[in-house]
Amino acid sequence: MEADLQQVGRSIHAALPGRTRHPLRALDQKAMELAAQDQELRAALFRFVDVTPACNGLDDLARHLTAYLEEVDERPPPLEAAMRMSGTKAGRTALGAAAAAGVRRMAHRFIVGETPRAALRTIRHLWEHGAAVSLDLLGEATVTQPEADRYAARCLDALETLAEAAPRWPAQPLLESDSLGPIPRVNLSVKVSALTPLLRPEAPEVGRDDAARRMRPLLERAQELGAHLHIDMESVDTLEATMELVFELLDEPGLRDGPSAGVVLQAYLRESPDQLERVIEWAQGNERRTPLVVRLVKGAYWDHEVVEARQHGWTPPVFEQKAESDRNFEALTRRLLEGWPHVRPAVASHNLRSVAHAVAANRAAGRDDRDLELQVLRGLGDDLAAALADQGMRVRIYCPVGDLVAGMAYLVRRLLENTANESFLGDQQRGVSIEELLAAP
Amino acid sequence: MSFRNEPILELRRAPVRESLLEAMRALDARLPLAVPVLIGGERGAAEGFESTDPGKPNRVVAHAGRGTEDDAAAAVQAAERGFREWSARSAAERATALRGAAARLRERRLELAALQVRECAKPWPEADADVCEAIDFLEYYAAGAIELERGPELIQVAGERNTMRYAPRGVAAVIAPWNFPLAIPCGMTAAALAAGNAAVLKPAEQSPASAAALVEALHEGGVPPDAVALVPGYGEAGATLVRDPRVHVIAFTGSSAVGLEIVRTSAETPARQPHVKRVVSEMGGKNCVIVDADADLDEAVPGIVHSAFGYAGQKCSAAARVLVHEAIADTLVERLTGAVEVLRVGQADSFATEVPPVIERDAQERVLRYRAAAGDRLMASAREVPEEGWFVPPSLAVGLPEESPVNREEIFGPLLSVTAVRDVDEAMDVVGSLPFALTGGLFSRSPATVERVADRSPVGNLYVNREITGAMVGRQPFGGNRRSGIGSKAGGPDYLLQFVEPRVVTENTMRHGIPVE
Repeated sequence: MEADLQQVGRSIHAALPGRTRHPLRALDQKAMELAAQDQELRAALFRFVDVTPACNGLDDLARHLTAYLEEVDERPPPLEAAMRMSGTKAGRTALGAAAAAGVRRMAHRFIVGETPRAALRTIRHLWEHGAAVSLDLLGEATVTQPEADRYAARCLDALETLAEAAPRWPAQPLLESDSLGPIPRVNLSVKVSALTPLLRPEAPEVGRDDAARRMRPLLERAQELGAHLHIDMESVDTLEATMELVFELLDEPGLRDGPSAGVVLQAYLRESPDQLERVIEWAQGNERRTPLVVRLVKGAYWDHEVVEARQHGWTPPVFEQKAESDRNFEALTRRLLEGWPHVRPAVASHNLRSVAHAVAANRAAGRDDRDLELQVLRGLGDDLAAALADQGMRVRIYCPVGDLVAGMAYLVRRLLENTANESFLGDQQRGVSIEELLAAP
Repeated sequence: MSFRNEPILELRRAPVRESLLEAMRALDARLPLAVPVLIGGERGAAEGFESTDPGKPNRVVAHAGRGTEDDAAAAVQAAERGFREWSARSAAERATALRGAAARLRERRLELAALQVRECAKPWPEADADVCEAIDFLEYYAAGAIELERGPELIQVAGERNTMRYAPRGVAAVIAPWNFPLAIPCGMTAAALAAGNAAVLKPAEQSPASAAALVEALHEGGVPPDAVALVPGYGEAGATLVRDPRVHVIAFTGSSAVGLEIVRTSAETPARQPHVKRVVSEMGGKNCVIVDADADLDEAVPGIVHSAFGYAGQKCSAAARVLVHEAIADTLVERLTGAVEVLRVGQADSFATEVPPVIERDAQERVLRYRAAAGDRLMASAREVPEEGWFVPPSLAVGLPEESPVNREEIFGPLLSVTAVRDVDEAMDVVGSLPFALTGGLFSRSPATVERVADRSPVGNLYVNREITGAMVGRQPFGGNRRSGIGSKAGGPDYLLQFVEPRVVTENTMRHGIPVE
């Protein structure tokens, strides 16, 4: 299989678009490369991006930016110039405007629109170019019941909006079915933490039950509209509530023949192999009309999990070495493929090796390429998505929707990921050789 | 110093939660416990008063001996004997005994957490954290005593040798509160013992059983029976200890009224008392959280709610007031209101409970009086509150006049007052006008604002962009200024210095004009 993997990897790599880029995007790329090289600068830029929506006007923006940059010991020349501008009111206004535009531009790279309706054009464009999407509604933290209600209403609106538009999209046979049957055109990802203010790690049942009463109508509506609902996974603090919620709801008599639904497995978790066994066992025991989709991801809360564990004196629940996590990703991929047809595998990664491994393992299992879904994130995996579509793979792009305030936490996480020293995208941008990119972890 | 905090339990794991429930079942089968007066290792009377479950006042948790004035005097006498034996030990030997006590608490940690849930209605996460903090104090002061014994470096010049050492003071009276029923008595007692003093512990009448567990652990760990005594009871036992001329140090944590009375009484120095008493006093607070316009409300709201309503606001570090920039005041109040409404009020033994009952009927009545004083400024309350037990609905008051008692006095309960201010400077003026200075909070993403507030704030512990409770031994040395306390920092590098007296020896090393070193 390793030979096949290498060959698949090389052909995907060859299909990646060249490095000619839109000039504005190259500018952002430059900023991110600078940030990746200097931890202090990286921290300063993240703090600035994070505070942007809370700033009151351009002057306030400029003051925050320069205050963060002051804490950076060695500032690259463009930032030195920025510091000099901040000495005058006019300079601060200009600096604030430039910085705000920069953040907005970055946000637009990762966030497809402020509302589902505003995102429709992009979604259709992606569909026409061979990529399905899963829409994700960004939001502020849910701390009250009205906030949870509003999020649920936005989810319903997203389902309706997409369901209304989707029939007008052209036929894309590869994206609409696999050998188990049809695959919904409409796909929405939802976060349990946004559906209830009551998630507490020491009392998962409270948040689970409160979220369930909002998730149930969503599932019912998704069923009526023929849409897919994917329940995202967040930090370990909400893991138990999330898994139990999914299992219990999908087991309810009214929902057993319910919509296509999915869960997420985070490969950086040490306990993920056990979780996968639980999921597969559950899926085997529940003959749903549509098999459960299991999205395998690396996991996006690594820093949070490690810091929280260190502060409390716990063993981190995540692998601390990237190679361990990558190896586990491959092992989980193979186990997930064994779970077919009770589960539909969706492998979400920007790591060329992990993707090639999934494709090769699926083929080694004697299955059709269309029985494996590959997923990427908007703004990070666009080139990879294009290459995969080019190779005849079934691709889905995870597309966040929301305004800048709501999107900030997401944006910071994605930027962190993109500028992390060990990121695959970083390797790729540094021009690491194909042999290294495809080396076994 | 190679100290690490005791890891708290990972309560997000179901088997861990189940282990605590099992410990609770085992404890319930043993209730009520018997807590005797314990002097020189002799068990005295175990009758006189009882501690009860604040959530189910009919449930008796412990019968305890009510320490009399005679008991207090006898305990001091035993402690004088104990002091001679204990202070003769090296710091390393004393540290071994304290670490032995820590090991004993570690073995019993589930049971001791369960005991606090019952005796003080402390919810599980906080009960567990309290046991861990007690262990931390023992370990931290054990290590600190060894460092202290080395003494500080002095300047040396030719012909003389200068040394400085810290000697224990003698007998310490420890007068402890109920709100951290194991950790605070443990911290004060462990510091006294680590430095070489003997100690007499008078715990709060609401929590004798937790204190008894501490004294048992100290004896089992190797502290001589005479060196630490337990005198459960009410104020008279404590007052006797404070007045006793054989007592050298008084370590107190509790209300401002009692604390100031102790400061006054212990200043009296009768002729037969050959020393001046040292008082370590940790008192109340009126802790403010400042929220600037650039704060991240996604963090501020949970941080404030946790700080104000965790353990029903019965922590000296708890948030009592929010001073919010007027530009975001409406948004913050709306979100806080919703967050208060979903707080789960209930029995401490349920993992779902966020706000347990307050400690006793008097406390319930007191908080309800302040709540009534908030009048039509009361914006939000938790929806459901149990009938039985000393419950108070957690509440939010908004826009009370500055002079309202709700804004000026320590309430020690689940009532939070929110005031809009023009800017951070006005917020700092409010903070500066209060007689207390224990903890404070700031939510801001501006480094300049953080620096300005840190510079102007008189509080002992300022927390930036996080909750303002939960100080960790060794990481956040804890204690207040102004009328909140005398300024010593529990769990910090200079706390042991309160329990010792410094002695300097200067030796002439010249003989006939020749240095003999």
